Amino acid sequence: MSQEMFDKLAQAVIDGESEDAEALAKQALEQKLDPLACITNGLTVGIQKTGELFASGEYYLPELIIGADAMKAAMQILEPALLSGQEREVTGTIVIGTVEGDLHEIGKTLVGTMMTANGFRVIDLGTDIPSADFIDAVKESGANLVGASALLTTTMLQQEKLISSLKDAGLREQVKVMVGGAPVTASYAKQIGADGYAEDAISAVDLAMRLIDAPA
Amino acid sequence: MIKLEEKKASIKPIKSKLKVEVLNKQEIDGINQGARSVMQDIGIIFPSKKALNIFAEAGAEVDFETEVVKLPADLVEKHLKKAPRAYDLCGRRPELDAKLGQDKGTHYFTSGEAPKIVDFETGERRLSVKADIANMAKVANYLDIVSLIWPTVSASDKGVAAPLHGLEACFNNNEKHIQTESVMDEVSAKYAIEMASVVAGSLEALKERPLHSILLCCIQPLAQDRGGIESAMVYAEAGLPIGFMSMPTLGLTGPPYSAGSLVTAFAEVLSGVVLTQIINPGTPNFVSIIPSLLNPRTGAYFMGSSPAQITSASAVQIAHSNGLPITACMSFGGSQWKLNNWQIGIENSWVHLLTVMSGADMSFGPSGMYEAVSLLDMQRIMFDREIVQAIDIISDGIEVNEQTLALDMIKKIGHHGMYLSQKETAKQTRKLWPPSILFEPPTNSEERYRNPVDVAHETIEWILKNHKPQPLSDDVRKELRKIVDTADEDETLKKEVQGAK
Repeated sequence: MSQEMFDKLAQAVIDGESEDAEALAKQALEQKLDPLACITNGLTVGIQKTGELFASGEYYLPELIIGADAMKAAMQILEPALLSGQEREVTGTIVIGTVEGDLHEIGKTLVGTMMTANGFRVIDLGTDIPSADFIDAVKESGANLVGASALLTTTMLQQEKLISSLKDAGLREQVKVMVGGAPVTASYAKQIGADGYAEDAISAVDLAMRLIDAPA
Repeated sequence: MIKLEEKKASIKPIKSKLKVEVLNKQEIDGINQGARSVMQDIGIIFPSKKALNIFAEAGAEVDFETEVVKLPADLVEKHLKKAPRAYDLCGRRPELDAKLGQDKGTHYFTSGEAPKIVDFETGERRLSVKADIANMAKVANYLDIVSLIWPTVSASDKGVAAPLHGLEACFNNNEKHIQTESVMDEVSAKYAIEMASVVAGSLEALKERPLHSILLCCIQPLAQDRGGIESAMVYAEAGLPIGFMSMPTLGLTGPPYSAGSLVTAFAEVLSGVVLTQIINPGTPNFVSIIPSLLNPRTGAYFMGSSPAQITSASAVQIAHSNGLPITACMSFGGSQWKLNNWQIGIENSWVHLLTVMSGADMSFGPSGMYEAVSLLDMQRIMFDREIVQAIDIISDGIEVNEQTLALDMIKKIGHHGMYLSQKETAKQTRKLWPPSILFEPPTNSEERYRNPVDVAHETIEWILKNHKPQPLSDDVRKELRKIVDTADEDETLKKEVQGAK
């Protein structure tokens, strides 16, 4: 019975059916199934399969995003029901945002979604985010990655500022810092002491995996 | 080879005999009605108190909390009517005026404000600086395919007043019309207009002959940018030309259909036009629609695709049906940086052909750009020039008259003859075989032609060394410097630009 529910949850993610995923999550709790098992054996299996379909060229980005949304919808039901001490397994935790003074959102959000679809816990702070807010979020979440986006030559300087703020806060050893955005280059990333630069959302995930030595 | 000799700046719009009309009347009406119902029922966000007040006073339905402005269709029609279809984007001299809506063809311009450049000496990619803007402005001044310019790259060496430094570099090195796409706050707008007034002689002279204009980008879907819209209002008050641009990415920031994306795009740009017409009736407006795709495998922004470009060509008809000039069918420099790249060559050829055939008033094409207008390689402009030249010839069609039917010649040469010795052939050959960088004799006997990249490089080198745009007077240059110096130190500007929240 529980396996049947896990399969249905996985399929709802693969099909990108948010409403089904949410309803199934509620049913699972009514049936007293273990929420952590539902996540691990259902949703995670589904998102991994979605990722495989994307990697093989069968799925495009919209399917991946719709799948991640379905997963999120079910997680919102299941996560609050986790027993104390239970924690879902994540690839890593990343705090992402667009730096202060910059309102560009889409690239950053795509990276967040791709990271979610690859098993990361993503704390997306939004746009126009001061370094102090990044620091607070890292402290609060215990993140091991930070992603900072900048789309303007005038705001990319904030990425450097963020790195020095992380140092000042004694957090630089805890997190790997990834930077991206139209004016940013690999050499600029190196110059400001970031750990890596990614050209697009897909390579951002690869980079994150490499930086934290996660199995690809 | 292109004849390299010092000459006065000139412009050459491309007028096409070949026409393409993508949409029929019913389809045009459908998109126009869709845009109007979006403006009326869903509304557009204008995140500026000043704009909201102006709209409220003019009779729009304004929600000051959500900043959504709903524009009744009759209000839209009333104000759209006031926007002129024909006007000039003036250069420093009348022969450099880009005449819009006057059946002169498509005016190409150098786009840009790109953050990166391929260093002309080393070939390395780097962040662009003010001196790069000056160099490219000079190249654009020399080439007649360029009718007007934007600062092609950003002055990353110049802090918050970088857009004004960009304008200064253009004014000092280019005599054609100069448009900005980065003066995106009220304070900078006032400085920019002051600079243009100094070049024109006075604000009145500038209004009379606007040698400066602005293009601002809406935020898709269905919103305006606060700084941009406040800048546009300053330009409207000064009576300078203002363009509104929408860049819907099909399936991301616009619906996954061309028609639906045109609906949202026109709702955005027309709402901006209405605002500037309320502020100053008769303000010269234009629109620009730049549809794009998302690479569905990587998430990368992809501008130059066939679905996007046919959408842009359709936008020409929609703009004209609303009585507005349009910038459309732009070439974006392909998806990756590599000279002699097939994808770039193919893409730019058909995009520019579509531009002139659809009757776009303006288009950015010969810009030397790569990677969705984020990287400038100056020598690339010579390839863009080559493409535009070919399109000029193609879009001219062929001439059929007594002379070109050439029956006398045919009779004279008769059977087994040769037309090479004819004076008319000698004359006509110049037209049949125009100046090009592609067919230079080789230095190496193994090759038929020289590598055109080398020829392009030498051409740019020659222009940078020898071309002298007509200089501004010392007094004007000094005055421009003073304005930019003041802007550099202006705390309100710093606050305005940095405090985007």
